[in-house]
Amino acid sequence: MNPKLTTPARGDSRPANAIFRRRPAATTLAMLAVVIALPLVVPSATLACEILIFAMAVLGCNLLLGYTGLLSFGQAIFFGSGAYVAALAMIHWQVGLFTALLLAAAAGGLLALLVGALAIRRTGIYFVMLTLALTQMAYFIAYTLSDWTGGDNGLLDVPRPPVAIGGFTLFDLESPLAFYGLVAVLFVFLYLGARRVIDSAFGSTLLAIRENEARAAAVGYDTRHFKILAFALSGAVTGLAGALYAMLLNFAPLSNIELPMSEQILIMTIIGGTGSLFGSLLGAGTIVILGDLLSALWPRWMLLLGVALIAVVMFMRGGLWGGLESLGRRRAGAARKTQEDA
Amino acid sequence: MTSPLLETRDLTLAYGAFHAVDGVGLCIQPGTIHSVIGPNGAGKTSLFHCLTGERRISGGQILFDGRDITRRPAHGRVALGMARSFQITSLFQNLSVRENLRLAAQGTAGWRALDFWRRLDSHRRHAATADEMLERLALTARAELPAGTLSHGQQRILEVGMAICARPRLLLLDEPTSGMGVDDIPTMTRLIAELGRDHTVLLIEHNMSIVMSISDTITVMNRGQILVEGTPQAVREDARVRTAYLGEAA
Amino acid sequence: MLNVYLFQILNGLGLGMIYFLISVGLTLIFGLLNFVNFAHGAFFLLGSYLCYTTVTLTGNFWLSLLLAPLAVGLLAWLLERSLIRRIYHLPHTFQILVTLGIALIIQEVSIMLWGPVGKSVPTPELLRGIVRLGHFAYPQYRLFLIGFAALVAVALWLLLERTRFGALVRAGSESTETVSLLGTNIFRLFSITFALGVALAGLAGVLSAPLRGANPFLGPEILGVAFVVVVIGGMGSFGGALAAGLMVGVVQSLMASLWPQGSSLMIYAAMAVVILLRPYGLFGRA
Ligand SMILES: Nc1ncnc2c1ncn2[C@@H]1O[C@H](COP(=O)(O)OP(=O)(O)OP(=O)(O)O)[C@@H](O)[C@H]1O
Ligand SMILES: [Mg+2]
Repeated sequence: MNPKLTTPARGDSRPANAIFRRRPAATTLAMLAVVIALPLVVPSATLACEILIFAMAVLGCNLLLGYTGLLSFGQAIFFGSGAYVAALAMIHWQVGLFTALLLAAAAGGLLALLVGALAIRRTGIYFVMLTLALTQMAYFIAYTLSDWTGGDNGLLDVPRPPVAIGGFTLFDLESPLAFYGLVAVLFVFLYLGARRVIDSAFGSTLLAIRENEARAAAVGYDTRHFKILAFALSGAVTGLAGALYAMLLNFAPLSNIELPMSEQILIMTIIGGTGSLFGSLLGAGTIVILGDLLSALWPRWMLLLGVALIAVVMFMRGGLWGGLESLGRRRAGAARKTQEDA
Repeated sequence: MTSPLLETRDLTLAYGAFHAVDGVGLCIQPGTIHSVIGPNGAGKTSLFHCLTGERRISGGQILFDGRDITRRPAHGRVALGMARSFQITSLFQNLSVRENLRLAAQGTAGWRALDFWRRLDSHRRHAATADEMLERLALTARAELPAGTLSHGQQRILEVGMAICARPRLLLLDEPTSGMGVDDIPTMTRLIAELGRDHTVLLIEHNMSIVMSISDTITVMNRGQILVEGTPQAVREDARVRTAYLGEAA
Repeated sequence: MLNVYLFQILNGLGLGMIYFLISVGLTLIFGLLNFVNFAHGAFFLLGSYLCYTTVTLTGNFWLSLLLAPLAVGLLAWLLERSLIRRIYHLPHTFQILVTLGIALIIQEVSIMLWGPVGKSVPTPELLRGIVRLGHFAYPQYRLFLIGFAALVAVALWLLLERTRFGALVRAGSESTETVSLLGTNIFRLFSITFALGVALAGLAGVLSAPLRGANPFLGPEILGVAFVVVVIGGMGSFGGALAAGLMVGVVQSLMASLWPQGSSLMIYAAMAVVILLRPYGLFGRA
């Protein structure tokens, strides 16, 4: 193949870690501010919950796409199975809130381990195609097991148990705002956790794999292990998000485990900014709010997502976060210039 | 005679019907600088790919320190103490120079590199290796720049530096001076000669003055096979070597 | 009892030929352009819808068999010239994302034009009957489908193997530079190949319309099947796409009589098994 046509445009992908190495504390504070302000700003607490839940799923997707360079269409598998596992455990075994969430994370992580181990047997586009085909497979499994999943009708009457310790109820989560409290606390923990993972030896190696997998292998890393672990972590976070989503809706629809769910999570990741944790919040927020505003006015608003996706790839590869960043840089540059002039 | 650090028997690498490496038996003595030379397309880089596990060989056997490593994957050979640099520069372009070196040092950590919870500070050793290497390569001033922004000569030096960071017993360098300007070559030559003191070095090089001045043993390859092997003196005087090179040039 | 299996195998061959047409287009584009088209399933459904519209307006299926692939190909050609060609130099990830955007747009526009509920397309009048062979009866349209798709496959093979265009495509799949050196306008070759590959997906959409109708949400399913075929058969291989397409079609059809709900599931399970045993596909090299 013509190298001109196939070599990645190096200059286009910025060192994703550089931003955060510079000011991680500032972005963490910004994240906290957003999480606190969100229910006050958006029309309803339910919508605020939805934003943070999808932001969690995007954190998971970002670990794969932004930090490891793995484009996975498999996220719906983990999201959907997290929703089903938590819902089924609560319905059939009457497990409590935290057990349900833990089970969902475990299911998502385990499935991601399997999906990852299978898909990374191939690289490049074959890898991507495999993740997509495996999502289709998961969809058909969920569809076939309709006795458990409710098939097309979805799983109804998913409870939202209270926060309880040893049978003693601490908080009731029935009100949307109370549930937002739980989601927000979990999100902050996951965000800080993701930050730690990225700053770890493991996280630094993921970036190396994203940059140049052949060289990473040549300096001694068994890249398969890293990719599979990245998958497992991503799947666990995404499964947890799926469980919260089922609790939010009191319902686990089949669409949770369909390909469009993977696409939606991917689109949020890209529009927010790949390789940026704060971008996860931006991407999920933008799309969820846009969907809420537009879907009532114009049911075909998804068309805009297609356009936005193309526009971002063509003109703003860093996504919203990248846009904000270059704006900030230009400002800083201008400020420095005026100082020098003075 | 001591036992060899690396030994190959009848090593073969086929691309379809074409044998890029064809029945090579190589013997590297520990503590030596062993060079591989030969005209373009002789199969030198292909030989490296076989030794480091980049390519799966079509036949033969590879022994490292008496151990059969024929079936070992590339990363497993690094763990045993082999490290290489590439003829075509292969860096983590968008990561800083220091991070490139640190990652290379961390590559020998095995399972410990999968630690996804503790901060990097708890793995200070690799950062220290990287800092040391920055000094040694005279790249400290550029430590924080993305590797892709270095000049070509500096990228070649970083390429070699990454291989050294693994503190390997056998260092395989594939044309470290390739494409370097005359100004940078002395730095590289000095670096390689120094390396000979602490490591066993297997060197592919086209620059004859470097090869002749620092090698203990020279293997001449042609068309995938070993043509001649011996001391620099012996190789220089061998008629077959001259025809191989001249034949190529004619 | 045997007749049931024969029936399902024939059904499977028909389905398999449709899968082949989709995958060979995908493969052709990838081979020459090194470009992954995630909008392929969307172009398939566009073919089905254009068939529906032509049949509704004119009552003529044969016209749609000609017009719909042409229209889909033309759209692809325009897209290639305006957008796709600007992203050849980008990493595959970005190409996938752009074509995913195109797929979303096609899907939503289809819903705007044809509504969210699927449309059924009548079998062409000429082929409504059944063919009898002793005790065995088989729908004419399905037989036609197998025969027609086989003809297309032969024509495509001749095009690729026996014409200058085919020689250029094959040479270009090895190295685009060679073709540029031959003095061919490589970009024109790219446009034509992209349009041809997508038109094949459109054609598959037309052929499947009388069986499955046109449905706006078919895109992902079709894309999934096409990926199964190319993962098993290998990208860039005509023979691989044919063998794997037929295999997947027959497996799915046979399963439909044994375990109806699980028939779609089976092809993905088969793919997973193939990947486990032979990561590079049944016909692929390491
Ligand atoms: N992936 C490949 N597929 C087919 N042939 C290859 C491949 N890689 C290398 N070759 C061929 O193998 C032969 C040996 O190549 P190799 O790169 O080992 O030569 P070399 O001795 O390193 O040459 P140079 O001095 O130019 O670096 C060459 O003829 C080359 O064309
Ligand atoms: Mg070479």
